Amino acid sequence: MHLPSPQATMKLLIVEDEPKTGAYLKQGLTEAGFVTDLARDGWEGLELAKAGHYDLMILDVMLSGLNGWQVLEGVRRSGIDMPVLFLTARDQVEDRVKGLELGADDYLVKPFAFAELLARVRSLVRRGHTSLEATVLKVADLELNLLRRRAMRAGHKIELTAKEFALLELFLRRKGEVLPRSLIASQVWDMNFDSDTNVIDVAVRRLRAKIDEGFESKLIHTVRGMGYVLETFPEEPSP
Amino acid sequence: MKTLSLTARISLLFAVAASLVLLTTGYFLTQVVDAHFEQGDRHELNGKLELIQNLFRHASSQKDLDRLPQLLDDALVGHHGLAVVVTDATGEIWFTTSGADFPQTLLNDCLAQPAGCTTGTLQQWKQSGTSYRGMAVSMTTGNGKPYTVAVALNIQHHDLFINKFRSVLALAIALAALATASLGWVVTRWGLSPLRQVTDMVAGMSAEHLAERLRDTGLPAELKPLATAFNAMLARLDDSFRRLSAFSSDIAHELRTPISNLMTQTQVALSSARDKDEYKEVLYSSLEEYERMAQMVGDMLYLAQTDNGLLIPGLEKVDLAHEIQDLFDYFVAWAEERGVSLAQTGAVSVPCDRLMLRRALSNLISNAIRHTPPGQTVQVSLAGQGDKATISVENPGMEIPAEHLPRLFDRFYRVDPSRQRKGDGTGLGLAIVKSIVEAHGGSIAVASSDQLTRFQLTLPA
Repeated sequence: MHLPSPQATMKLLIVEDEPKTGAYLKQGLTEAGFVTDLARDGWEGLELAKAGHYDLMILDVMLSGLNGWQVLEGVRRSGIDMPVLFLTARDQVEDRVKGLELGADDYLVKPFAFAELLARVRSLVRRGHTSLEATVLKVADLELNLLRRRAMRAGHKIELTAKEFALLELFLRRKGEVLPRSLIASQVWDMNFDSDTNVIDVAVRRLRAKIDEGFESKLIHTVRGMGYVLETFPEEPSP
Repeated sequence: MKTLSLTARISLLFAVAASLVLLTTGYFLTQVVDAHFEQGDRHELNGKLELIQNLFRHASSQKDLDRLPQLLDDALVGHHGLAVVVTDATGEIWFTTSGADFPQTLLNDCLAQPAGCTTGTLQQWKQSGTSYRGMAVSMTTGNGKPYTVAVALNIQHHDLFINKFRSVLALAIALAALATASLGWVVTRWGLSPLRQVTDMVAGMSAEHLAERLRDTGLPAELKPLATAFNAMLARLDDSFRRLSAFSSDIAHELRTPISNLMTQTQVALSSARDKDEYKEVLYSSLEEYERMAQMVGDMLYLAQTDNGLLIPGLEKVDLAHEIQDLFDYFVAWAEERGVSLAQTGAVSVPCDRLMLRRALSNLISNAIRHTPPGQTVQVSLAGQGDKATISVENPGMEIPAEHLPRLFDRFYRVDPSRQRKGDGTGLGLAIVKSIVEAHGGSIAVASSDQLTRFQLTLPA
């Protein structure tokens, strides 16, 4: 199964009043293939959100004028149900709870890795765009049967542990996306905090040994400083 | 309402207590004196009545009867304040001494029932400002004529005495109350003076002089525990202050190194023209520093929140054996690469915040794996005893010198200071463990011998 690059037609609204952050977010997301608009304060954000048809809004909580919560309320009151990802500098439980209660879909705490943001954004915009749940995931000559929990490459069965299988499934589902280590830890092992160990590197290395060793075309690549990506044709060779 | 000072309270208490005691004593004394007077009066009146009765008994003829008043006058002469009235059967006054102006009621009882009026009942009354005590009896003469004889004593002098006694007593009570109140005031002031002394000492203290202590020499026994407790509090405060300022300087130090790295690196990179790959290399290197700083800031924030009770654990029953298994699943590949095995024994469930506890256990386990020599095993044991659950994480390896043990949970504390630059974590891992465990009402202890280091968590089960 090969998903068409989903972001090609995706329109994002960024509401961020910190000039540098706003500019970098816009640049990064545009370069990642999204069409982005940037609002510099809460009022502008709410106006744009109501006027334009966006697939996702990235909302900073601390805004001048209307704050993020008020923008979110305004958006939801206007009956717009696009996914909203909020950014908060305060790592507080109440903030998260409040945002999620107000109808936000996900959150990130500053400082965050851009790869993490990108991964979350992609996962949010894909929501509602994925059709039937596939039972077999395929990329190149690698095949993953989710029902029979079996992995095959070029017709050879590959023995995987349960966690390795889950890791490979994540890579296949997010094909072509750079997955930061924190996202992998959270999705595969349910470890929702940064570890100071290189556990993920070891796990990915082992998986790689099983599926890539002995094959001409490598599937899993390291993206330095960002994470890992599963791709048939790497855009750049891993350093 | 304004609260009364201790001195005022104690003085008031003294005064009230003294007044009450004196009032009660005075009341009983008055009763006793009164009873004594009454008995004396009764005795005297009885004596007079016996005398009169004797005279009446010997009057057996009319002639004797006629002589009787004279005899009575003679017999009663010299008895000041004694009044006698004798009435005959018809109630007519037959004999009276001067000044005896009795109320008729005293006599009426005996007139009505002469037979039951052989021993008089003492009665007391007041007439034109003077108090009397008297009794009446029926008696018959030698020739059988019935008479009623009433005798009364002027007891004005008793009243005077009692009144005088009472006023003296009142004065004594007032004086005693005043005296005891002043005494109470003096004693309290004197007794509380060490407290004022302590207050003065405490008032002279400030955050800059936390090393000072209260002198407990010369303090009364009651105040010594206070001074000791206060000194203990000062010691804790002092310690916290020291740690806090050490923490701030640690933060500055920890951040200064990566920032200086970043600056130097960037400046060097910019100092001459380079090709694309070299710039890229600089950016990658910077990214690593940024990530480390971000993690440190994140850890510090997390620590500040757990320490200040901002993260309140949401309690749910968590099966720790299952939790450890999950963590082992996570760490197993990394551990195997280091040649370290993982083992767990026991099972227990505790009410806790799963995410927080998972973070704490993860820190302990990764710490243990990191310090275990290849070929050896990290052992996690679970046990429940009554209302407590213990989790111990043991790893073989180098002994942690005893002097490091108490500070192991301090922020940024490293047994080997050179470890910092090797990028081994933020130095906050164990501080976070401690903070999480304490937020759950538990405790953590560490012991280290030359073979084994063991961290033991105790949590309320």
